[in-house]
Amino acid sequence: MNRRQRLGVALPAFIAFTVGLLTLFSLLMGGNPELYGFMEQPTVTAELVALPAAALVRLTALAIAFTVLIGLVNLLYVHLGRLARRQFYSLVLLLSFAGTLGWYMVNRGDTTLLAAVQVPIESSLAALLFLSLMHGAATVLKRRRDGWGFLFAAVMLTVLLATLPLAELAPLRPWREWLMTVPVSAGARAMLIGIALATVAAGLRALLGQDRSYRG
Amino acid sequence: MADTTLQVHSILLAAMTIALVYSVRFFRARRQRRERQRRITSFESLPMWIGQAVESNRPLHLSLGGASLGESSAVTALASAEFFYHLSLAVRSADVMPIISTSSTAAIPLGQDTLRRARQSGQQAAPVHWHPQGERSLAYAAAVASLLEAEDPAAHVLAGSFGPELALILENAHDRRQATFAVSDQLEGQAAAYAMADEVLIGEELFAAAGYVAADAAAQADAAVMDVWRSLIILGLSLALLINGAQQLSIAVRALVLLAVLAGFIIGFLVYLRRR
Repeated sequence: MNRRQRLGVALPAFIAFTVGLLTLFSLLMGGNPELYGFMEQPTVTAELVALPAAALVRLTALAIAFTVLIGLVNLLYVHLGRLARRQFYSLVLLLSFAGTLGWYMVNRGDTTLLAAVQVPIESSLAALLFLSLMHGAATVLKRRRDGWGFLFAAVMLTVLLATLPLAELAPLRPWREWLMTVPVSAGARAMLIGIALATVAAGLRALLGQDRSYRG
Repeated sequence: MADTTLQVHSILLAAMTIALVYSVRFFRARRQRRERQRRITSFESLPMWIGQAVESNRPLHLSLGGASLGESSAVTALASAEFFYHLSLAVRSADVMPIISTSSTAAIPLGQDTLRRARQSGQQAAPVHWHPQGERSLAYAAAVASLLEAEDPAAHVLAGSFGPELALILENAHDRRQATFAVSDQLEGQAAAYAMADEVLIGEELFAAAGYVAADAAAQADAAVMDVWRSLIILGLSLALLINGAQQLSIAVRALVLLAVLAGFIIGFLVYLRRR
């Protein structure tokens, strides 16, 4: 690796490290005058410390707004490429894109096309999603022939049956309540705590400029 | 919780995590040997799928779902990108590069950069496929179904932020006999992944994935830090529960409970040492 390449690796990592630490410090220490009670003007100091994070977050919002344009260019690029390979579904997409854009511009912001096409299709997919989920849950024992698979199927059946408005299934309802409030809730919280902890460790790594994406 | 207390706790958590990350890396570097990691069987199928993709000259499909930079799922997006980078490195001898799909525009540069870094010199990186998500991400699931038809991937690695729409993608993949590996930071997506994917990770295991698919010491150290944090939280919660329960007992019973707990910890520790 020559000097120029080394600089190309070090500079983004340095910028990420500096900005990351500054944002972290600003978010953790800013906006709370109680932390600066020992100073003459605690409110001013707290606002000053919070300023870099606020400014950087606004810059991020601007950059993300710009990525919508990147998305549109990407969509056209990918589907024009597919069209070149004679995949004619992409032609439908490109025509729909042009038609919707034209309609929107001619009719000054009218979203009828979106409401008439996109919403019914998504609703149909939502119905299909229910069937897919049921099919997946029903075949779980085929994929996982172990104790956990049986437990999954038993809990799912109990919860589903107890939801039915039939008097014969009333004894299952307390079981359903208990399952939903104790093990399901505990499991969900455990997973969320695990994800949050992992997010802290991985987030700090990114903030300290140690993520591979900064290193070229 | 008051703002000041919350801020102080956040500062402590950040400082302790930084200290743990660097300590674990330092001690691992000193030992000069690869530590054994906690076994996660889901990763064991990946080398076979990678081999099949290379042999059959078909791409891998890697999906970030709705994980996006600048949002709460930003770290998920970064962890997934790191995981995808190592997978892309593993298949770069093939003629076709993996396909990365996303429903977030902010994740397009991240995905493109991942493919760019992994490609060989002279190799053309495939463009990231962005499919607008729409309400409930169903439009994204439908668009990915068209990708399965057009590109015929050898396997799917769906690691990111997915809701229940993951079920549609997984079912489509199974209909085409394409292998699937899934994990999501959303509970609904995780449930669909558990029920329908061939291989599944649970929640935070995604953040350790890079350490499992590559000999990356830093990623392995991060995975170890997460395990330390998890153990500390379990220990803390158990102690809080015990203290709460012990307050309602007589002194003699408290002593007995304390002895039982100590014995439990010692036995647990010995079993842990023996398994290592």
